[in-house]
Amino acid sequence: MGDQSICDGSLSADDFYVAAKSLCELWQTANTTLPNWTWIPFKRIPTGISCNEGYLSLENVYHIKSSKELVSSQDPFQEEQPVDSATVVQVPSSVIHAYDFHIIYSFSYRNPVLYFHGHKYDGQPLDLDDIQKDLPEYSLKLIRESKWTFITFEEHPYLHQPWYMLHPCGTSDWMKLLQGNPSAANYLVSWLSVVGQAVGLRVPSSLTSSCFNDGSSSSIGQCVEIDPSL
Amino acid sequence: MASELPASDRKVVVHLRATGDAPILKQAKFKTAGTNKFSTVIEFLRRQLHRDTLFVYVNSAFSPNPDELMIDLYNVGGICVTHNFGFDGKLVVNYACSMAWG
Repeated sequence: MGDQSICDGSLSADDFYVAAKSLCELWQTANTTLPNWTWIPFKRIPTGISCNEGYLSLENVYHIKSSKELVSSQDPFQEEQPVDSATVVQVPSSVIHAYDFHIIYSFSYRNPVLYFHGHKYDGQPLDLDDIQKDLPEYSLKLIRESKWTFITFEEHPYLHQPWYMLHPCGTSDWMKLLQGNPSAANYLVSWLSVVGQAVGLRVPSSLTSSCFNDGSSSSIGQCVEIDPSL
Repeated sequence: MASELPASDRKVVVHLRATGDAPILKQAKFKTAGTNKFSTVIEFLRRQLHRDTLFVYVNSAFSPNPDELMIDLYNVGGICVTHNFGFDGKLVVNYACSMAWG
């Protein structure tokens, strides 16, 4: 039953838990400089239903703005530690943005939804203008074209604070395409490979190898070369 | 053996597969340098299909970063497909014309 829902691009709540656990494990073994995803369990009161409700959290992902390009850096503390706040700081604190990402299951869309928020070094939250400066070019274009159907400001379902979120309406449509080998364990890796690009969160390539299992084969016929100048 | 060639000399065979209502290309198989980035393929498809927005993904499984190297994508996939295709393996790149968030 679970697999059937995965084929249409959606995910059951139980499969979300399976997918979340799998993502945590894969992410940990992947050679990434980013922090780890952690599962934050959520207990409803009164507790009647025993299900694994909760969400995934990846916190303190730092964006440091160098001269032009954004560098995703995992650990600015290397720079912070030896430096007293009264002395000269190598990276101006105003350009360090810390992002928290939460993957939350949407019971209405039957899909994971990415919530995120960012704050400056001094704890001041980032507004959409600040965030836009950190987003990839492609996402900026999308924001201009479809203001209300891409990134919106919504209430975090568990923390009840306003967070930014990526709109989930289209998720199952494109997730359907990524189910060549449907499995709950790989679902979030596939999903994150798309969603991560929208917000500039890089999925380690070693992670996606787990998604590689295309059984289909066809003979290799005549090939021509792609000429980049075409 | 392919593995004995320096990475820069290696070519990757790319098989372009249309999904949904995306037009099928006359020439769907290409050979490209392993040192090319995945964005080369995206740009190529954009030019061929005259579309600005395309959803390009690999092996019906995930969407690689545009700056990923073709040889890396191929090698990652090669772990599973080597026994099927040997060193003459290919990278299946799927493309769809629509990709909507909301």
